[in-house]
Amino acid sequence: MNAIEIRNLTKSFRGMYALDGLDMTVPQGAIYGFIGENGSGKSTTEKCICGHLVPDRGKITLFGRPYTDAGVRAKVGALIENTGCFPSSSVYNNLMMQAINLGLKDRSGEIQRVLKIVRMEDNARLTFKKCSLGMKQRIGIAMALLGDPALLILDEPINGLDTDGMRLMREILVDITKNYGCTVLISSHILGELEKIATHYGIIRQGKMIKEIAASEMDGRSQVYVSLKTGDDRAAYDLLRRGGCNVKFEEGELRVYDIMDTARLSAYLLQNGFAPSELKKHKIGLEEYYVSLMSGKAV
Amino acid sequence: MENAKTLQFERPSFSERLKGMLGVDFYRLFHTPLFYIFIVIAALIPALVSMGAMGEGETAGMFTNAWQIIAADSPLYIVHNMGEYANMNMVFIFGGIMVSIFIGHDYRSGYVKQLFTTHAKKEDYMISKTLVSAFSMVCMCFTYLIGGMIAGAATGLPFSIDGGSLVCAILGKVIMSLGWASLYTFINIIFRRKFGISIALCFVLGTGIPVIGAAALVGNTAALNIFLYGSSVQACLSSDFVSVAVCLMNSAVWAVVYNVLGAVILYHRDVY
Repeated sequence: MNAIEIRNLTKSFRGMYALDGLDMTVPQGAIYGFIGENGSGKSTTEKCICGHLVPDRGKITLFGRPYTDAGVRAKVGALIENTGCFPSSSVYNNLMMQAINLGLKDRSGEIQRVLKIVRMEDNARLTFKKCSLGMKQRIGIAMALLGDPALLILDEPINGLDTDGMRLMREILVDITKNYGCTVLISSHILGELEKIATHYGIIRQGKMIKEIAASEMDGRSQVYVSLKTGDDRAAYDLLRRGGCNVKFEEGELRVYDIMDTARLSAYLLQNGFAPSELKKHKIGLEEYYVSLMSGKAV
Repeated sequence: MENAKTLQFERPSFSERLKGMLGVDFYRLFHTPLFYIFIVIAALIPALVSMGAMGEGETAGMFTNAWQIIAADSPLYIVHNMGEYANMNMVFIFGGIMVSIFIGHDYRSGYVKQLFTTHAKKEDYMISKTLVSAFSMVCMCFTYLIGGMIAGAATGLPFSIDGGSLVCAILGKVIMSLGWASLYTFINIIFRRKFGISIALCFVLGTGIPVIGAAALVGNTAALNIFLYGSSVQACLSSDFVSVAVCLMNSAVWAVVYNVLGAVILYHRDVY
């Protein structure tokens, strides 16, 4: 069963289409990285799923049920734009409000559980406004985790975090999916971080889904190249061409594509009188894939 | 996915949903200073009103009976002086401001997103906010009553009244809290994040100026009782059970109307 299925979702604001026939499929248990430029419709999609925005048309189902179903929506946790906490209230009180809202039985126990997941068990009595940005984001996730949600929707949760904050957030998200079986829809601009955790990707442009791909499938498609420098790159280029290599001059360097064995390449160059001064293996990651997709080069 | 859990979605009943929403609203009400500030304000209003009555100049002598601080002698929409106007109805003016701040904070903090994410049924929000707001205004009515009695005693005016009429007047005002709360909730739903407009509009409607203006044009007619301010004025020191019944019917009908309209708006417009 898919956690989220969206078909032909359209949403406009004053005649401007934010979503234009969007289709989306998020498998249950996935960490779905939702990628797109600013204003491409990521937040609008997430707000539609959460019932904050009323779509012009289209169909949204969550775990096979209409998204307006009270039962399924009670199992959705969200962190969209901001945490939705009252700044003058304590972390505990903010979480308590959400626990009451969800009708949880053992509220204190549940609050302790989610604070532990986000590594904030010692900060429950802190006033929310006194928390750092990283702490606020983690509180937002704790809030979304109350009531053991089946689906977690996170809008740019790692924006503005420092390296440690990002690492911690990454650990938390992996923990959530691994140990709690939660499906996570996460939008972010920080593709390098997303790449480390996502199992699926959806790439949106101008309100349309232009590509949905599993991380495993993308790994299979990822191109590997070796960048190298020699005393005479031009001659080395000719040599490698003659040898049948897929070689290109790109960004001021010599690149040999689709070659896995760098030792063999190095030996071949040496045998022909070219001592490589630099030789480095690269893998085209999510960021390069995204850029090439946006420029129409990738499929 | 191998780590996906088996899911069961139990659809919460109306009472379960409302319990959750009311619970969080009451928790917030009692855990933030707003409610207590307005409770105190309601208790202080009679003192300010009576100071005017005790003073010199135009306002002096506007009361002849201490209970007039609670309600007017008779249901007059055409106001001649502050004595005919300044009574427990003022709770509804300040109540409007309180409700606007209370609901406005939902939007300003973004907490409303949490509520609407987990509550698919928009009527839950309307009903809960109306009931919590009504409760706040009822509390304000009672602190106003206590403040009014203290202020009345301080003025030295006689507490002479028919007990039954007084109870009916107070009961009428308390009952009207529900209607006013639903109106204020509805206004705040329309204007949502335009906090200033909500407060201003609640204030203007709470003062009863539109009804007072209409009375100036059409006269002191009972037809004005169909409005919230009209019925609030109806609850006066000459009230009887009929007045209470009018307040009850009016308040309940408007509460239903505003709640239905508010829910319809929330279903058809973006909530955030």
